[in-house]
This record gives sequence, structure tokens and C-alpha cells, in this order.
Amino acid sequence: MDEEYEVIVLGTGLKECILSGLLSVDGLKVLHMDRNDYYGGESTSLNLNQLWKKFRGEEKAPAHLGSSRDYNVDMMPKFMMANGKLVRVLIHTDVTKYLSFKAVDGSYVFVQGKVQKVPATPMEALKSPLMGIFEKRRAGKFFSYVQEYDEKDPKTHDGMDLRRVTTKDLIAKFGLKEDTIDFIGHAVALHCNDNHLHQPAYDTVMRMKLYAESLARFQGGSPYIYPLYGLGELPQAFARLSAVYGGTYMLNKPECKVEFDEEGKVSGVTSEGETAKCKKVVCDPSYLTNKVRKIGRVARAIAIMSHPIPNTNDSQSVQVILPQKQLGRKSDMYVFCCSYSHNVAPKGKFIAFVSTDAETDNPQTELQPGIDLLGPVDELFFDIYDRYEPVNEPTLDNCFISTSYDATTHFDTTVVDVLNMYKLITGKELDLSVDLNAASAAEEE
Amino acid sequence: MPSRRRTLLKVIILGDSGVGKTSLMNQYVNKKFSNQYKATIGADFLTKEVQFEDRLFTLQIWDTAGQERFQSLGVAFYRGADCCVLVYDVNSAKSFEDLNNWREEFLIQASPSDPENFPFVVIGNKIDVDGGSSRVVSEKKARAWCASKGNIPYYETSAKVGTNVEDAFLCITTNAMKSGEEEEMYLPDTIDVGTSNPQRSTGCEC
Repeated sequence: MDEEYEVIVLGTGLKECILSGLLSVDGLKVLHMDRNDYYGGESTSLNLNQLWKKFRGEEKAPAHLGSSRDYNVDMMPKFMMANGKLVRVLIHTDVTKYLSFKAVDGSYVFVQGKVQKVPATPMEALKSPLMGIFEKRRAGKFFSYVQEYDEKDPKTHDGMDLRRVTTKDLIAKFGLKEDTIDFIGHAVALHCNDNHLHQPAYDTVMRMKLYAESLARFQGGSPYIYPLYGLGELPQAFARLSAVYGGTYMLNKPECKVEFDEEGKVSGVTSEGETAKCKKVVCDPSYLTNKVRKIGRVARAIAIMSHPIPNTNDSQSVQVILPQKQLGRKSDMYVFCCSYSHNVAPKGKFIAFVSTDAETDNPQTELQPGIDLLGPVDELFFDIYDRYEPVNEPTLDNCFISTSYDATTHFDTTVVDVLNMYKLITGKELDLSVDLNAASAAEEE
Repeated sequence: MPSRRRTLLKVIILGDSGVGKTSLMNQYVNKKFSNQYKATIGADFLTKEVQFEDRLFTLQIWDTAGQERFQSLGVAFYRGADCCVLVYDVNSAKSFEDLNNWREEFLIQASPSDPENFPFVVIGNKIDVDGGSSRVVSEKKARAWCASKGNIPYYETSAKVGTNVEDAFLCITTNAMKSGEEEEMYLPDTIDVGTSNPQRSTGCEC
């Protein structure tokens, strides 16, 4: 420390690590610090002993659960859409070379008290009990419309401006039933509530297209992929990108204190009596608590099990969506499960998560419908935490604070926040259609 | 199709900043040396195809990318290593004394299934500096430390002029191969995310 940087990044969460990587590649001098002695911040993956320490206050987990290092338990469980924004960031930066991915076995939806597979092939769609035969025909027409839709080609619009027509009105044109509308909105477009029905249909249609494209990408039984060794690999991979391009890393730096000049602009960060100067600070909400406001709470249960989730065809990795209407809530609930097949647990063990936005003062009880789907559980932990968003004006203080991770099923909201922050920090838009590696290879010739 | 595990060997290079880790890699893989010292920028991992007996291996040599400077390597860096190279500068007593910490850090982070027999190789680099007159760590002392840690193979090199670099990496390769074969890690089928052109869906999928 006691040096000068252009940007100091605080916290090694996924958002902060992506930004650190992008800024270092841009040639900025970056210092990246974290109070923990591991990468990932709130989006880390913990080994078994770390899990026990965090939730049980004990240093060691029971021996019968196996080796601590065999566990990689996500603290922010999500899957990646195979054709989603995060995959595009990975390809753009060539960070895929540090990671290995495997398809997620299946996606399911909780309907009428049962767990049903979301069809991944036309054959599965034909056999699925989710819709009757005539409803399937109507739904098929709607899916074809979505498939064909191209914003730039008016012939595909069928006379409707999706920037103005609501989702509800669009679907009404195809005569679909309430249950089908619910299924499409929550299990395909992956909305977490019903607000989309009264919004322009464009967003829902684009989400449905993303789902179909992700399903087709690797044909793995679901639209999702997931990294071996858990999501904690992602921040580490982007941190390495930053380091390769000159970023300086300091883990285990307690009390990172952001310093300001008399005009209120950030001037540096002090830790352990040393101050590093900088022009800008990028951080997660926990490093600048007086510049953020609470916007909600996430409730999560984490389970260690010795079996797959019942009624998921023995899936080694799976998601179950519990739509709000099925539960009588405002927001959807999500159940995730992964296992030794993704190297996040020893052989024969499974890690399951139940996540939702907390809506009452009793969030643990709210999670019960999801927990009930798990079957017998070896160990259960609860993680209830507040979400924050920044309230400062970055143009005044040069502090760029990320928004806390939400309970959504995948990473597109995460990447949107990153892209918005990148634009605020640099004044530039990130073009994800460019493969940086290919671009720099072309430059060398 | 042969298992990926047996043809790709991961080697990581540990040691204090400035001992010449990146230069050793570049000398071995690219036959290059740069006199300009900068704390490592741009070094990532390098690959080299090596033939041993009748088999072809891809050696994947991982640099620390400078993250070792403030003890900030992540667990992902260590995972799956088949051989760990510990590098010190023969002109720096501290870099030799720190080898113990690097070895222990590796064993903690990598958690090899057989820690007693995990293959390390120690390299004492920069034997060319001042014609050897700046040397502060004797070969005898270094060999004694290696012997005390389970007879770790030891090489003295100059990344600058290439002395002993090839020999050191031959030993590294041999040990990595043994390790790679003995370990029977569960490695599920992975998918290639790197392809930029997603396959377009042709039909209704739901």
C-alpha cells in the first residue's frame, strides 16, 4: 500500500471481480482488497469447516460428512443461463479458460402440489401433463410466435408493437388458460412475480427467447449450466484476469476505511495504518454502509442431503421453481440442488438451497414449502440477509457501489448491474459481442 | 478416448515475488528472457506438449500472476495441481526461508489425497547473478532442507542463460505424470462454453 491507484475495489464479490478484471484489461491501475482471507465475499463458496464456522460458530464440522475441502457450498446460489449475459461476459474476457462447466440436469416447476418437469424437448412437451392437448396446440402457436419474433422485422410482429402491448394482452390473443400463463411467466420467462403481465410484452418475449436459446445451446436437459467446484470459482477466475493484467490483490485486509477530501470526493483507502490513494472506489454495500439503503431481505435455507430431491428423476443437479401463486405469496421461491457431479460435495452428498424474498417477520417459516420438497435432510442452515442499493451520487464522490445479490434464479440481473457500473465508472459501453481474445490476437498480426 | 486427466498435467509455480518464476516458465516454453523486472504482468499459464516414452502430454504451467505478492492466491489456483514447483532466489535468504510457508500453504489449499508423497520440485534460481558472488544460500543448505521434506528433487538454475532449466522441467514433467496417473479424481463430463456461436433453436421447445 502507500501507493497511488486509479481504482481501488473493495470486496471480492462476483460483481467486484468482474469489474476489477474489466478495468485492468482497460489498462487502469487497480488495487483490489477484501477483509476476508478468501475470494467471493457474499457470493463465495464455503468449504465445510467455513460453513460450520459461519453458521454454527464451531471450527470443525462432524467427521462423518467427509473432507471439508470436498465441499463448495454457494452462499448465493444461482444457475447460469447457457446463452445468458454472464456467459457472454465470460467469452468476451476469455475467462472460460480458467473454468469448467457442466449442464444442469433439469428444471422443474411446482404446480398443483406436484413437482413437474419443464419440458426440454418437443417429445417431453407432448407427454407433459402440464397442459391438456388443446391447450398444448394453443401454447405451441404462442411459442412459435415468440420464436419467430424479430424486433427488426415487422412481418414477425403480427400487427402488435411489443413495446406497447402488455404481456397480458399478447397472451390473450392466443387464448391461453390461467395455469398456462402462470407456467410461461414463471417457469420459462423466469419472472419472480406477476408484475410483467401489465408491462409491455417485449421483455417477457425476449426472456422466453433466451430460455429457448439456452436450452438449445448444450441440449443438457435444462437451459442452465453451472461451474465445477461451485460459483465461488467465478470471482476467482475474474480476479485472476485482473491480476494477469496488472491488478494488485490484497486479501485479509481488515477495516478498509474509505477516505474523502474536503469536497467529499474519495481520495483513498486506509487499512492497518496504511493509505493507498485513488481516484475512484468500487465496492459492495458492506464497505460504505452510510451510502446505501435497505431494499429488502432474502431468506435462504441450505441443506446437506444424501439423496437427490424427490420426484426429479434422480437429477444430480436441478432447479425447482415454486411460482408465487402456487404458494399464495408475492414472490416466487426457488429450490436448487447440486452434488458431487459438479464437485461441490463428496460422492453421495447433495447440497440444496431454498431461496426467496422475505415477505414477513418470520422468514424461516416462509421457506417451509420449499424445504418440504427436499425430503430427509442431514443438516440444515438458515441465512437471512438484507439487500442494499446505493443512494450516493457517483459523479460527486467517485464511489461506485454495487447492489446486493437478489434471490432470482440466474445471473442476468447481476450482469446488468455490472454493465451499468462499468459505464458509470469509465463512460464507455461494454460491447459483449466482441471476443477480447480474438480481438487482441488480430492486433498482434 | 483417453481420459482428459491423463493427458493434461497441471503444474503450479510458487515462491516469493521477484525470484524468477515467470522467467523460468518463459525460458522453458518460449526460450525467452527479459531483463526488465516488473512484478508479474501478463503472465498466465503456458502450455507445452511433451513426449515421454510413447505418450504425448500437455503440460499446463500456471504462474501466480502476481497474486502471491500479498498472499492472495485463491483456492482455485491450487486445485488439481499434479506437481508443485517451489522457487527461491539463491541471492535472497528470505526467499529461501519462505519456501517452508509456500509448501505448507500448498498442502493446506490443495489438500492432496496423499500429502506425504505429493511431488514437489525445488528450484534455486539466479545462480548467474554477479558470477555467483552474491550467493547467500549454499547448495548444501538447500539440499538439506529438501531432504528433510521428503527428498524433494532440487535444481539450481539460471532462467537468464537457461542453465538447468530443461533438466528441472524434465523432472517436473516426470513427477507430474506419476501424480496424474495415480490420482483417480472424479471428473464429470464438461461442456465447452468458449464457443462464441450458439446453436440456433429450430423448433418450439416448450
